[in-house]
Amino acid sequence: MDDLLAEFIAETREMLEATGGELVAWEADPADRARLDSVFRFVHTVKGNCGFFDFPQLASLSHAAEDALADLRAGRRAPSPALVSAVLAIIDRIARMVDSIEAGEPIAGDDSALIAALGAGETAPSHDAPEPVTAVLGEPPPTPAQTLAAMRTIRLPVELLDRVMSGVSDMVLARNDLAHRLRESGTQPTIDGPFERLTAILSDVRDAITRMRMQRIETLFSALPRLVRDLSAELGKQVLIDLEGGNVELDREMIETIRDPLTHIIRNAIDHGIEAPAARRAAGKREIGMLTLSAHQSGNTIAIVVSDDGRGLDEAKIAAKAIATGLITEAEGAAMSRDKILQLIFEPGFSTADSISNVSGRGVGLDVVRQNLEKVGGSIAVSSQPGVGTLFTLTIPLTLSIIAGLTVEVAGQRFAVPQGYIEEIIEADAAGLDYAQMGERALITFRGERVPCLLLADVLGLPAPDMHTGTHTLALLRLASGDLFALCVERIHSHGDLVVKPLAPAVMKCGLYAGSALLDDGQPVLLLDVTRIAAEHGLLSEARSRTMRGAEKEARAQATHTARAMLFTAIDGRRAAIRLELVQRIETIPASAVDLSLAQPRAVIDGLILPLAGLGDAPLARPKLRLLRLSDGASELLYAVGDVEDAVELPAELTPVPGDPLVEGLMLQGGRPVAVLSGHALFAAHGRPAEPAERPACLLPDTDWARAILAPLVEEAGYQVVSEDSAKAPGAVSIMMEDLYEVASHLGQLPAGPVIRLRDHPDAPTGSPSIYRYDREGLAKALKAAAGGRA
Amino acid sequence: MSALVLMAQIAGRRCAMAAEDVRSVIDLGVIAPVPRAPAFIAGITALRSQTLTVIDCRLALGLEAASLYPTDTRAAVVATGGHSYALMVDAIEDIATSLGEPGHIPGGFGAEWQRAATGMIETGIGPALLLDLPPLIAGPLAGARTNRAAA
Repeated sequence: MDDLLAEFIAETREMLEATGGELVAWEADPADRARLDSVFRFVHTVKGNCGFFDFPQLASLSHAAEDALADLRAGRRAPSPALVSAVLAIIDRIARMVDSIEAGEPIAGDDSALIAALGAGETAPSHDAPEPVTAVLGEPPPTPAQTLAAMRTIRLPVELLDRVMSGVSDMVLARNDLAHRLRESGTQPTIDGPFERLTAILSDVRDAITRMRMQRIETLFSALPRLVRDLSAELGKQVLIDLEGGNVELDREMIETIRDPLTHIIRNAIDHGIEAPAARRAAGKREIGMLTLSAHQSGNTIAIVVSDDGRGLDEAKIAAKAIATGLITEAEGAAMSRDKILQLIFEPGFSTADSISNVSGRGVGLDVVRQNLEKVGGSIAVSSQPGVGTLFTLTIPLTLSIIAGLTVEVAGQRFAVPQGYIEEIIEADAAGLDYAQMGERALITFRGERVPCLLLADVLGLPAPDMHTGTHTLALLRLASGDLFALCVERIHSHGDLVVKPLAPAVMKCGLYAGSALLDDGQPVLLLDVTRIAAEHGLLSEARSRTMRGAEKEARAQATHTARAMLFTAIDGRRAAIRLELVQRIETIPASAVDLSLAQPRAVIDGLILPLAGLGDAPLARPKLRLLRLSDGASELLYAVGDVEDAVELPAELTPVPGDPLVEGLMLQGGRPVAVLSGHALFAAHGRPAEPAERPACLLPDTDWARAILAPLVEEAGYQVVSEDSAKAPGAVSIMMEDLYEVASHLGQLPAGPVIRLRDHPDAPTGSPSIYRYDREGLAKALKAAAGGRA
Repeated sequence: MSALVLMAQIAGRRCAMAAEDVRSVIDLGVIAPVPRAPAFIAGITALRSQTLTVIDCRLALGLEAASLYPTDTRAAVVATGGHSYALMVDAIEDIATSLGEPGHIPGGFGAEWQRAATGMIETGIGPALLLDLPPLIAGPLAGARTNRAAA
């Protein structure tokens, strides 16, 4: 219905726009038959369309106008300026009604006067002064707010969008090329300025263009919790749904294409996969089943993984069914691997349900799901473990492909890796990685977990470095299935947006690449197909559902709550430790990213400015700085270290150090004392609380001084500077100049919230609560007090 | 039939490509090799905002060791199957007019050449083998295909 309504609104708008010109022409020459016809067609169509909807006012209005116009066309009436005005008024009114319909507001107002005006024209002589009509036209014109609320839309052919989009992609590349050339030719202020502007504009345009066709997969996900709730209620099961990666964007059309397949898989999972609560209890599982959906972008494709922790697929049953339906012979079945047998569920004419329930037995099988996906160049696969769960992986291509990527180098060649996979970058030597070769498989230890490691050089058949010497750069990649693996590269270069272009079939056949892209310097790079590389090397887990691992983690957390600490050598050479829970990650930044100009050193990381501790008084001697990124959940800070050693278990009790508030206590490590830094003291001293999502509003005087000088101060104090109209929010703090305050108080128009009064002179008249306008401390105090009073 | 053809030398033999198939002739810039790709794929290169797959025609015809022949710094850009390719040859010679239909000679041109050629044509500067681009780009016959670790 909503779609229908949107269509109706769009169509009416389009016609209104087209009729606009005709109306003006008709007004100039009411005898013009062609114009009259087109105006008549408009009201006629509106009237007809109203029949589908319950808009009696709109219907009666358009009906009245149609009658009048029909009379005109039939020659039963002569056109008069009064009648023309009346018709025009009605058409204006229809436009406003459409606006309110779209905004979801009730249609307000009485139209009888408008309708009467049509009749008035009839009784009056043809040259009568149009007085009755002007009265009608006196209806208030649409206010600007109303016009804004009605968002204007047009419909465009998708091909046109595609063309614009590829044009913009090429523009991005041309810009990158230009940027490169500009860099080579040195700074040229006269060119750099406009170029920066061009860059900004281009990125705006690209964003807008991208959004034209893209939609967050959230729009698809948002309907699922409801579906799951209804289905599980219907089937007497308890199911929780966990959605991840809703911010992955996908072509609108693609979203529509996968809507049904996804729904179907979810129905199946709840109907056949997840057991009834009693059965789950008996199997030692939680009564509530878990259904996890995650979306992940990788190069030209998006992987959507649907996993449940149900009973898993029954291999024997599938094989038997396939043999019974003649899909395979018994001998074939015996020779097939479990994985192959599982994929049979996508064959046409296959359905394992013993009895067809009204949930998933709709005569549409998984074969249709696969067909639909393959139609758009996607694929589907299933893996499952009996009793543990089932995992469906849907792969769908992305038509648009500008992705954020990282360039890595190996053996002098560069390759791109989609940013989305990258969990973390680590740099360490063999000892730090705890590198171990188990048969053909290499492992590293990352945060106490053994992670398989691939050497990109090996994968590509290039000369590989010796892992046992020197330091290495590894990218930890997280696959859509949740698996983690490390990819060892030689160097990591910049990251940026990559326009991914398809590869020739012969290159695609290598199975290593997802596409190609051009770097800023115009050099082409290949985009690695991370998922396929992982699959080739057997790193894609078999239905190791994340829910399982979640449960494991939970169990581990409950069984042993031993605290762990990160052991490191501080900048000054002393060994120290910090609780591991605080350490978010280890980062390496160039010394140039550190700002020492303020009392509190700061460093820029990932576009954030974070306080930096642990530097001591030592000057920055090294070109690169190793940092621990600490987080207390709300705020973050960086701690500079010399070298990171290892994660160790904290003893149950630490030896207290009374004199030093920065140290939580001492622990023994290898027979030597190591200071455990106090996270509390660190965050108390350096941590910057995250800005509250909703900051209190503050209304400033409307002067240049306030905007330029006062506003930054107010914002620093945690306020959001608002304009006069939006300051209606209760509790908004107002800052007023003393003289204005007095005027306002005489007029009884003081703002409702707290008011801070500023005066121009440093010396206060006695008893005045006002603050000198350059009294920074006083102002800060007052703002703080006002914020406190509000909270 | 008289049509324009681009004359080139491949492995010391004179070949021709229909001019309408050739979108341009470019100077080959940096070629990024494609590890684990068949040997006849020399790599990828950029042409404005496009990526071209560079095909070494000598290897694509199943001939060994392209280094035996000189390589022109220029390459012919062709598009087939929605992808663009740059064809690496010994030398790009000239544009000529073909005189008459492509013909065959008894005994053929040899298996690989037979596969990738439409036939022999006469041109103003002598006879040439008219190439059929899709099979040429598909690479040598399966058996001759070699994987190589890109240098």
